[in-house]
Amino acid sequence: MSDTAQSSFVYVTYIRTAPERLWQALIEPEFTQQFWYGTRQDCTWQVGASWRLMLPDGRVADAGEIIEIDPPRRLVLSWRKEFLPELSAEGYSRLTYALEQQGEMVKLTITHQMDCLESKLIDAVSNGWPVILASLKSLLETGEALEATRRWPEGV
Amino acid sequence: MKSKPKFVYVTYIASTPEKVWQALTDPSVTEKYWFGFHVAANGKAGEYMTAHDPTGKEVHRDLILESDPPHRLSYAWHPLYDEFKHERPSRVTIEITPLKDQVRLTVVHDDFDEGSIVLEKISNGWPAVLSSLKTYLETGRSLAAPSWSATAAAEGSHE
Repeated sequence: MSDTAQSSFVYVTYIRTAPERLWQALIEPEFTQQFWYGTRQDCTWQVGASWRLMLPDGRVADAGEIIEIDPPRRLVLSWRKEFLPELSAEGYSRLTYALEQQGEMVKLTITHQMDCLESKLIDAVSNGWPVILASLKSLLETGEALEATRRWPEGV
Repeated sequence: MKSKPKFVYVTYIASTPEKVWQALTDPSVTEKYWFGFHVAANGKAGEYMTAHDPTGKEVHRDLILESDPPHRLSYAWHPLYDEFKHERPSRVTIEITPLKDQVRLTVVHDDFDEGSIVLEKISNGWPAVLSSLKTYLETGRSLAAPSWSATAAAEGSHE
């Protein structure tokens, strides 16, 4: 298929909103805490800035840095799982958000890649992204995130 | 080891399995969010699912492989458009799982022939259709067809 060994997860969703509002929702804690299990991101949102996904109890779930940022169109960051040693060992993955306005909606494409075959991280995020992005879509279209994503699950 | 090409899409909808099932199988509902297409998929295994485009032209006649309302539906996907109709049918499997106050909807599209040109088309198509379905069930309004498919839908998927 390709020259380099790679695992990737690609997800496309269409959301009735404006690119600026979707961008804000992807970044600001008032939004992410609702659709992303109570988490917030610790970042200054500039190229080279460190990026951390913080759990409500203060643990760092994932960390990396901003590789590319072009609001409200494109955001690329490196991403390593921090609190599960087995996944940390794989090193840094790369996450790309691409936003494209189409009339009254935005096409959002998420691409999460790791430079190895059968990445356990990519396997894990493949299960995680669909509910987070479905909840983000619900939040922007109806004002309410999906119930399951409004808080961090107990015991995890 | 080379894995066989397969398209998987999962989404979560604040709705019930019965409403999601009806939305995927009743042409009077699909018309509202599936960009004007009438999809009738309420038959039993061995019967046919049919789809008509907004002009009334029949664009699908798919053998239903499995039907267990409102949980599971599988059909042999065979578009009648000129560029696809000579390909062997691929397979669509839809699973609807009730969770607390929402439904997990999983669409798996697989069993493609080597070199199939259908895979790329459906990889663009399903996210648009399922995004519109979710919006329709949660807000009562659907989404417009994405720019790539507005003409494609009307012209029978020609480039």
